[in-house]
Amino acid sequence: MRPSNVILFLKHTFTELWKRPGTKWAVGLLNVLAFFAVITAYGQLREQQETVNDYRQEVRERWESNPDKHPHRMAHYGYVAFRQPYPLSFFDRGVDSYVGNAVFLEAHRQNTVNFSAASLSTGLLRFGELSGALVLQALLPLLIFFWGFSIVAGEREDGKLRLVFAQGATWPEVILGKAAGLFSAALLVSLPTLFLTGVLLFFAAGESFASLSRFGLLLLSYGVYLSLICLLTVWVSAVRKTAKTALLALIGCWLLFVLVLPKVSQVAGQLLYPSPSKIAFDRMVEEEILKQGDSHNPDDPYFKHLKDSVLAVHQVSSTKDLPFNYGGFIMREGEKLSTLTFRDHERRLLARYEQQHDIVQRTALFNPYVAIKYVSMALAGTDFRAYRAFKDQAESYRYELAQTMNELQMEYIGNNIKTSADKRAVLDRSHWHDFPDFAPTPLPFTDSFRAAGLALFSLCLWFVGLTALALFLRRPTSVI
Amino acid sequence: MIGFLLKDFIRSRSLLAGIAILLLTGLTSIYVGGLFLERQEDTMAQTATAQQESIAHTLSHVADDDLGLFLYYVRFGLVNELPRLAGLSVGHRDVHPAAQNVNIRNLEEQRHVSVLRNPLYQLLGNLDFSFVLVFLFPLVIIAFCFNLFSEEREGGTWSLVLSQAERPELVLQQKLLLRFAAVQLTMLLLLAAAVLYLRIPPDGYLLAFATVAFLYLTFWFSLAWLVVRLGWSSSTNALALLLSWVMLTIVLPGALNALVVSLYPVPEAYEAMLESRDGYHNKWDEAKAPTIARFKEIYPQFAEYEHPEGASFGWFWYYAMQHLGDDEAAPATAAMRKKLERRNSLSAVAGYLFPSVHAQLSFNTLSRTDLRNYLAFQDKLNEFHEAKRLEFYPQIFAENAVSTVDWEVQGTDYFQDARRVNWLAAVLPLLLASGLLLLVSGRVGGAYAVREA
Repeated sequence: MRPSNVILFLKHTFTELWKRPGTKWAVGLLNVLAFFAVITAYGQLREQQETVNDYRQEVRERWESNPDKHPHRMAHYGYVAFRQPYPLSFFDRGVDSYVGNAVFLEAHRQNTVNFSAASLSTGLLRFGELSGALVLQALLPLLIFFWGFSIVAGEREDGKLRLVFAQGATWPEVILGKAAGLFSAALLVSLPTLFLTGVLLFFAAGESFASLSRFGLLLLSYGVYLSLICLLTVWVSAVRKTAKTALLALIGCWLLFVLVLPKVSQVAGQLLYPSPSKIAFDRMVEEEILKQGDSHNPDDPYFKHLKDSVLAVHQVSSTKDLPFNYGGFIMREGEKLSTLTFRDHERRLLARYEQQHDIVQRTALFNPYVAIKYVSMALAGTDFRAYRAFKDQAESYRYELAQTMNELQMEYIGNNIKTSADKRAVLDRSHWHDFPDFAPTPLPFTDSFRAAGLALFSLCLWFVGLTALALFLRRPTSVI
Repeated sequence: MIGFLLKDFIRSRSLLAGIAILLLTGLTSIYVGGLFLERQEDTMAQTATAQQESIAHTLSHVADDDLGLFLYYVRFGLVNELPRLAGLSVGHRDVHPAAQNVNIRNLEEQRHVSVLRNPLYQLLGNLDFSFVLVFLFPLVIIAFCFNLFSEEREGGTWSLVLSQAERPELVLQQKLLLRFAAVQLTMLLLLAAAVLYLRIPPDGYLLAFATVAFLYLTFWFSLAWLVVRLGWSSSTNALALLLSWVMLTIVLPGALNALVVSLYPVPEAYEAMLESRDGYHNKWDEAKAPTIARFKEIYPQFAEYEHPEGASFGWFWYYAMQHLGDDEAAPATAAMRKKLERRNSLSAVAGYLFPSVHAQLSFNTLSRTDLRNYLAFQDKLNEFHEAKRLEFYPQIFAENAVSTVDWEVQGTDYFQDARRVNWLAAVLPLLLASGLLLLVSGRVGGAYAVREA
């Protein structure tokens, strides 16, 4: 294979595409679309960031401005945590619109994260969201297919292909050269979009290193994805007899990749790994918590045993004589138990989701669209893992809050106090100030990278596989 | 001639393959719809069971003289009834809960509950019949029609038609009608299968659903006919039709959604959350008299009850505090609701312009799986919650015993969304779109019929 020939085909393909009547329109249209998508999504991201920051501050101020009171009242007053979208989420929305944005954190119970964009939207959302990622993942490949379906097959029909081979060109040169030509034309859409994304990312994230490495890998992944799409196009055009059948095959691929396979894998996942509904889940958790014991019931065997052992350890005969507030102690133990139970069930639920994800993720091996979707979501911080990182941190914070209040109660409140309304049961408000704000940390890049592992591998596999097909295509199909 | 065309149609493998694909995906989607209905019904049944369990458990754990504490725990279920038609168009029923279990405390903290569903699966979307109708049927129509004329011209058979048929145009029209009949029959066949399999009652909603589906497919045939009459080459036709499909099913709905969301952001959701929390919790540390006064202002019928002087706690005061959480969040909740209604109306009106959007939104409306259903359910939940409170408040405040209430009759309630079919809104936009296209196609092209191959 001679590189000079490859470059020749590249140049020729690009010039030919550029001269076609519809090309400038198509490139212009897709660019306008991508810019519209990226800019509106960026606007929404900034608004969301601002809203979240405002409310976060508001929540903190309200928390700190609580008067002196019984700590358990503060545990019930609780906290509200807001999910801050990742900077790159304006490029790829991923599952962001389907996960909640705000959660009320209080003692004794784990509330759901609410107000997902989906729960506030109309049926339009289900058509799919317009985003830079959608343009590059689905629309640009369709354009590449239209550009390239006749790139070899058409020349064969015209008889030009015979001339090309008569002049000494080889199949690898033709395919790689033409694919590179297509790719360079595809850059007319992908480069401006990604450039704009990079510039806006700078404003959305500052010079955060994490965003930089995410964006870098994102660029690389889209590069690989688009080049494998170009290779696929040229290869199909080469092995198909006529341009018409090549077009049919390519459009068939597109529909299968983008429309059919993802939905079918979703159905398969639901059938193979059904997950419980909210009410079924709640009933399971409640049932188990009830079995463990009821801290409010003086005759409950679990808590009676606990009480006896505490009394024995401190060598006193009544809880009134304990060196700490017994009510606070019981609540601390109750919180520990119920949280353990909840987390255990949640872990099982998440394992189930993980299985459901695997079904879809494995289709990445034979569906490059799903592969890039997974990679892109993970890098943009809009995959399920990024959401889970927030949810886990919010739950840890909730637990910390409840237990800190219980410990304050144990330490500062006397055992002879019956109600939280008692004047002596009141703690100084400086304690609220001492409890830190909720400050979730984003999922580290390495975790996102690992989440995208299989999908990244699939992209590379496709790329290598198609390149190999091009290199070893000798004469599987006629040149005439 | 038509007999010959029919034979040609049946012999054509690609045409039969198109029908087969529609049948296969259509039947799969109906099966998926059945799974969805089953799952939702299970949730509804569990809601009723959970309520019974909640009452039974609380009866055995709370002293008979403490009705206030009893009702602190007990939850009452309200089910959003699911029309069988929802099996064809799941809409937003997989985003919102099928039922809600609420106690008589502050409603605002209970009403917004997320469903437990894998968000990735929500993103990928349901393979329901409405998806097959809105996305896949048009593709098959495009495949059937894009070369209706051009294949004859490019294959050299058009000159034969010209020389033999008296009205060559009629041949094309018959070819089109044949495809039209085949596709519509397939749709009706699938719909009939769905009616039988999902036990959909034959009512006005179903009829409207079928009509919208019929007209939506007619729209695509009209569009295809216009393109055919323009007399371009096969590949240009295919490109034009596919571009229309991409625009109508992906780009325009997405752009519209972005517009709706940017025009009406809903920060009020967060506001309501904070207001209801503070509205209730702060009352613990405030003087009791204003709380009680405000409560009596809202419900003058409870003017006779008083908080016992000097007492640090009392259920009358407690439930007054709880209610003030809702009361103080009410402005934010109302503002949020108004925004959601605006989002809904704007989507519906904009949908009139885009048949794909209109068809999907109409399917959701007719199946009562749309945003409006959720809002109506939330209204019902308000009423339900208030009815429960007003039923139990006097009994709690009068310190009645738990056993004086007949708990056997406290069953789950059902909300039925019985809004009427708006035929005009459902049908007119599609009729107009098809009519317009046919009108235009009558004026353009056509000259091709005599043009030499």
